[in-house]
Amino acid sequence: MISLPVQTASFPPVTLENLPLLPKNLVEFLLGWVGAPEWLVYAGGIVATAGTVVGVFLSAFALLSLVERKTLARIQNRLGPNRAGWFGIFQPVADGIKMLTKEDIVPAKAEWLLHLAAPVLIVVPPILALGVIPYGCEWTPVPLELGLLFFFATGTLTEIAVFMAGWASGSKFPMLGAMRAISQMVSYELPLVISALGVIMVTGSLSLPDIVGKQGGYHLGFIPAWNLFTPWGLSAGIIFYIASIAEANRCPFDLPEGESEIVAGHMTEYSGFKYALFFMGEYLGLFAIAGLGITLFLGGWQAPLPGLGFVPSWIWFFAKLAVVIMSYLWIRGTFPRVRIDQLMRFAWLCMIPMALVTIPAAGIWTLLRANGHGLFAWLVTVPLLVFPWIVLTIVYNRCLAPATRKYTFAE
Amino acid sequence: MTPLATLLTLSSVLFSLGLLAVLTRRNAILILVGIELMLNAANINFIAFWRYGPPDPDLTGPMFVLFSIAIAAAEAAVGLAIILMVFRHTRSTDLNRLDSLHG
Amino acid sequence: MLPLLILSPLILLAALGAVWKARPVHAALLLALTLALIALLYLAIGAYFIGLVQFMVYVGAVAILIVFSLLITRPGDEAEEISRRPSSLLTGLICTVPVLAVLFISLIRANPPEPAASDAPSATLQQFGEKLFTTHAPVVITVGVLLTAVLIGAALFARGVQGISSSEPFESGKSLPP
Repeated sequence: MISLPVQTASFPPVTLENLPLLPKNLVEFLLGWVGAPEWLVYAGGIVATAGTVVGVFLSAFALLSLVERKTLARIQNRLGPNRAGWFGIFQPVADGIKMLTKEDIVPAKAEWLLHLAAPVLIVVPPILALGVIPYGCEWTPVPLELGLLFFFATGTLTEIAVFMAGWASGSKFPMLGAMRAISQMVSYELPLVISALGVIMVTGSLSLPDIVGKQGGYHLGFIPAWNLFTPWGLSAGIIFYIASIAEANRCPFDLPEGESEIVAGHMTEYSGFKYALFFMGEYLGLFAIAGLGITLFLGGWQAPLPGLGFVPSWIWFFAKLAVVIMSYLWIRGTFPRVRIDQLMRFAWLCMIPMALVTIPAAGIWTLLRANGHGLFAWLVTVPLLVFPWIVLTIVYNRCLAPATRKYTFAE
Repeated sequence: MTPLATLLTLSSVLFSLGLLAVLTRRNAILILVGIELMLNAANINFIAFWRYGPPDPDLTGPMFVLFSIAIAAAEAAVGLAIILMVFRHTRSTDLNRLDSLHG
Repeated sequence: MLPLLILSPLILLAALGAVWKARPVHAALLLALTLALIALLYLAIGAYFIGLVQFMVYVGAVAILIVFSLLITRPGDEAEEISRRPSSLLTGLICTVPVLAVLFISLIRANPPEPAASDAPSATLQQFGEKLFTTHAPVVITVGVLLTAVLIGAALFARGVQGISSSEPFESGKSLPP
């Protein structure tokens, strides 16, 4: 009989660090106290863990939808939603009520089963992916040995769902939008995974809590040992950041869903709650990939300065998440949209070579530092990264990017 | 039925289903679907014997499956590229139409 | 054993749909479902790494590739209806049933030994890494070269596309590819 990891009789003390685990501990303790069989206690713990993650991130999604609209509005010199409550704070509630009460229109030419399954299937992978990220030093919902591989595997499930949404709608805009969305997601998945390879190589493990644990400690007493503060880490981090914007279909890479381009892409024929599910899937995916970026490059739940260890670690994680998401919003408000051929060329001809350069740099860095040549490691890896970056950017801009177009109009 | 026998039966039937697809389908891409099913059946066999067969510290089963998956992906890519080129030339993926050597 | 008994009929049903359905996109999506269920089977057996790799490569790349090429070629359904004619079906069955029979007979004859109820053999990531880069390093390099050749080959195939090539400036008469 397998032994299930259940709570024994005593209830663990509640500390600030332990606070997110409170629902799970409470449920397991209560079920065990009532005398339920072991598998029921285990199942109750699982449901409570999943419920915590889903609850936290759905509230964060609601908050983000408001914060995004206000931030974009301020960037665009207007006010944003401010009618539904003070400062627009009840806007997400109003949005939810609107989405739930809208009529659910399914086009006559659509295949209703796939049309229904696609929004459901697009929400599931981000929630699965959110389960493996370490949020605090005691709070990883599902600590898997192959956590990073699981994360990328769930990312690929989103692409099938996008295709189903586009094809099952039975009309041209969704089909074109789905083709563009899939090609974009597949193309940018390569730089994403390759830039994560350097981190895996340095840490020696695919387990996300291990990766965060390796980034503990401080150099020179006050610089955190995060992966972003190494030469290869900075390079890989920038590539991961750009690729994550493209994977999440955010501006400047939101061609598949830009309104002036293709109505709403693969989501055109959806209304009501199904559209809200697409929206939710996109934002939860944004949280998941930002969380992964923070775990890989920004040290996860590690505090930035040595003296701040008294703040619970999950607060540091969510603070970093807030900063990264605000940077996504800032970029959305600032950059124009990229064309599909520019997008694809950028991924294949610029990002992938740059990502490939970081892997030998990470290897050389680790080798030299393990043998004690810290300064030499800096001296070797910085030119090894900077020089190809400069050369690749110049070569890309001169030769490989699409030519500037000359538009001739009727005179 | 032991787990090993279940998995071997599964892989045999999956293999023959893939073979049926290859033999009866007219669309070239759907023939590729059959080929992928056959490859997966063989992979299931390897994993079944690794899991339920005599102990093997060499991880031969999963290693083989790893390379098989990689090569199957490469073969699917090349096959689809060829099919798309033929499609561009003849505007059809119906294999029964491709019956002359001279394009 | 229970996950095996639940997943095996589902896999066979999905594969039957992939083989039998006349509409090509349905068949391709059922293939994706079959591959996903096989990945779940690997996870249930205890081959976690292989299961996740199967998910990432087969469901996330091969199935997408097949589905994408179906979007580009847009096949009609009539061709597959024609293939349902009894003559072609009979040919297929005549070739397939003996294969199935041979496989079953060899399975029964071989009489695989009843395994002692044991846990899954250990397949940690460290073991995979060691095996891949010491014993099987030449194979890894060969597969890498093969995949690079496939990438370059597929890109060269795709270059024969009509429409805009990258070096000419755009003229407003031409149409853009999707």
